[in-house]
Order: sequence, then C-alpha cells, then structure tokens
Amino acid sequence: MSAVYDHLVTTLSGKFEVPADTVRPDASYDDLGLDSLAVMELFLTLQEEWEVPLEDSEAVGTLTVRETVDLVEKLKAES
Amino acid sequence: MTAVGARPDVVVTGIGLVTPAGIGRERTWERVCSGRPTAMDDPELEGLPAGFSCRVPAFDPAVLVPGVQHWRVDRCTLLALAAAREAVGDAGLTPETWDGDRVAVVLGSAAGGVATLADQQDRLRERGPGLVSPLALPMFLPNMAAGHIAVDLRARGPNLHTGTACASGATAIGIAVDLLRSGACDIVLAGGADAMVTRLCSAAFARMGALSRRSEEPAEASRPFDADRDGFVLAEGAGVLVLERAPDAAARRVRRYATLAGHGASADAHHQTAPHPKGVGAELALRRALSDADASPVEVDHVNAHGTSTQLNDRVEGTVIERFLTGRPSVTSTKGVTGHTMGAAGAIEAALTALTVFHATTPPTANLRHPLDDAELDLVSGAARTGKVSLAVSDSFGFGGQNAVLAFRPA
Repeated sequence: MSAVYDHLVTTLSGKFEVPADTVRPDASYDDLGLDSLAVMELFLTLQEEWEVPLEDSEAVGTLTVRETVDLVEKLKAES
Repeated sequence: MTAVGARPDVVVTGIGLVTPAGIGRERTWERVCSGRPTAMDDPELEGLPAGFSCRVPAFDPAVLVPGVQHWRVDRCTLLALAAAREAVGDAGLTPETWDGDRVAVVLGSAAGGVATLADQQDRLRERGPGLVSPLALPMFLPNMAAGHIAVDLRARGPNLHTGTACASGATAIGIAVDLLRSGACDIVLAGGADAMVTRLCSAAFARMGALSRRSEEPAEASRPFDADRDGFVLAEGAGVLVLERAPDAAARRVRRYATLAGHGASADAHHQTAPHPKGVGAELALRRALSDADASPVEVDHVNAHGTSTQLNDRVEGTVIERFLTGRPSVTSTKGVTGHTMGAAGAIEAALTALTVFHATTPPTANLRHPLDDAELDLVSGAARTGKVSLAVSDSFGFGGQNAVLAFRPA
C-alpha cells in the first residue's frame, strides 16, 4: 500500500494500541474498538503528519482504514 | 473499640502506593524507612528557579497499568489507577467477585491533569483551535482519576473527587470513613493522586516563595523541621487505601493494617495560602479527629506531620503539636524522602501512617540535622525507630486554609 497507509497502521498499532493483526484496509474504527473521541484524536494525528485539513464530520466509527487513507491522499493531491 | 450500639470501626485492608520512593507499597515503605531522599535534578525543569523534583521512578505505562489506553489519560490518572489496582489486590479483592454496586471511590487531586491542560493551551496558541485534542478536557478534569478507577474496577458505588489542595487525599479518606459508617457502601477505594511536576506549576510555586532553591544539592532540599529548610520539593504520586467496616474485614479474614479511628476537618478562615499563625485551624482539625476517635490529645503517641519543609508550615505545625498533643508524641515528616506530592500527600502519608502502626516502625525525617530550636518536639531523624504506636495522627493542610487530620490505631 502507500506511505499514508503504512503511517496509519503504525499509528493505530503504536499510539492507539490496536492489535496490529486486526488493522486491515476494510476494518472500520468501530471494528477496531476506537470510540468517537479516539477517532477524533486519530484525525488530529493525521492532520499533523500530512498537513491536510481533514473534516471533523468525517471522523465517525463506520469509517474504514482504506477510506481514511483515500481521504488523506485526496487532500494531499489537492494541496 | 467504639461504644456499644455505636458505629462500626473502619479498617485499612489494602494499600497501593506509587511514589517517588518507589512503585508499589513495599518499595515505597522500604525507601521511606531508609530516610534516603529522592529529590534530584529534573531536565524538564531546567532553567527554572528550582530545577529539581521528586518523580516516580521511570515506568512504561503499558507495564504499570496493562490494558489501559494510556494515551488518553493524564499521568495523574495513570498513577491513580496503578495505586488503586495494587490496593485492591493487596486487600485480597477482585472486581470479578465483589458487588460493584457497593464499592465507592473517593479520590483527591489538587490539579488533576494540569500537564495536559498546559500542553493543550500551548497547542491552541501555536496551532489553532482545530488542533486542540478532543481529549483535552477528559484528560484534565480533576474528577477523572476517580472516574477511571470506577471504569477499570467496575465500582458503581458513590464516586467522588475531593479538592482541598494539599489536603485532598486526606479529605477523601475522611469522607470514605463516613460513607462506610453510614452504610452507603461496603468497600471504599480512597486516596489521592497528583502529577504537578510541570514547568508551569514549578514556576508558579517558586514565585510564591514556597519551593526550595537548593539547586546545588537537591537531595538536601526537602528537610522538614530543620532549621535550614527553605521550601518544599515538588513531587508527584498516588496513594489508595481499601477501607472496609471491621466486621466485614473480619468475616473475610483479611489482614488489617490499622483501624482508621477518626477524622477531622476544618478551615483556617484566615488567608488564601498562609497558615493561621497560631495554627487555630490545624488544632481544630486535630481536636475533631481525636474526638471522632473517642481519644484525648495526651494519648497521641505519633504524628505523621504535614511537614512540608517550608518555613511557615513547619513552624506553625510544630507549635500546634507541642501545644495540643501533650503526650509528647514522636513526629516525623516523610516528605523529607518523597517531597511534596500535593493532593496525593494526605493519602500517601495516611498509608505510611497505617504501615507505621502495622509494623511498629516509625520512618525518620530525612535531612533533619538541626531541629527547630524553638520546639520541644520528639522528632524522629537519622534511622527508623521501632516501637509500638497506639494512636497516630496524620496531618494534612491545604492552600485555602483547608485542613484534614486522620487518626489511626492498631487493628
């Protein structure tokens, strides 16, 4: 996958202590056991890492890992 | 024992300590009894008037409190959780078997997640509102350590935070006693936690003239009741006691460290920060604790003093002890070893007082070489002293003139 994906996996399994083997592209944050505050915090981390203006309204539990990567990469491409 | 038909005794059945003297009850007790100070240079406080502190020995949060999402709690809560878990295990209890509806938590903290608050304030200023953490408030609010303990240990009884500055932990334990006497719950996890070793807190205490400036020899800086004292040493930590009614503890056949015989609270009603010059509030809290314990002042044979190592506190407290506790009790301040752990101090020192009673061993006051010359106190210095303690009190006094005293007897 991409650098954004790799960073997301590292962040989830590192800072957010999600078991690395559960982090798959189609896993949602609900699946990974992250509540709404945790997803918001994750967005904050991604915004700082990639310097992209993620929308808080997108930070929901049904969002998947792949969708997150797509959001970041789209914003990166636009910037 | 209390009078026939009166309230049941409350006993200490578990102790958890995470302090600069060690992670865990035994390590803390051993270090405190050794009289070896823990203050040392603190790189985080470099360039400040007091560039040293007493910190909890380095730990990996995942090892200290496994299973907790440590990235979403302030250090204050981490320390509190570790102490609470240790205390519960020490009491032979487990959330798997207790009735969580009957387990209360009362935890004092002066400043809660003050480090988080400072970090997030910096973020707001430097990076704007969009990069403030959504966890800023849940990490900062001073009640959150008590809340997290409830979640962690499934304790659904009354859940309270106490804020009486440096008396917070002792106030919490006093309230816990009342909860048990009233029958509001069967078990209380009571104590205090603070993690105020931050640049902001250190700078602010230094501005008040409250901190020792002995930067060239930090280990000598915390010297309660010593003539050469020049302020306290900022510290962090947590202490939690498991308290139960004596008949319940007897039915469980568990070890009882001590009976928590009485507690008393008062206000100086005098000044924002300075103690009343004659210690009127301190004496009132002592008087109430002893009355609550059905004891007279002359019976007190040991005092674990608030003993901060500030000029004002130690002079006033020494005067009150000498004037009011006429049985010439032994006096020690364990802050010589631990520094001043703020809202945790009252709880840590309550635990150390219970251990003093249990082990019949009184820890020494570190760095005490030239005792206050205007007081006839029996200060314990040098080495720990062995000998039975029949009635011990632990003093705690907070900014705002808020005082709390706890009285312990052998169980």
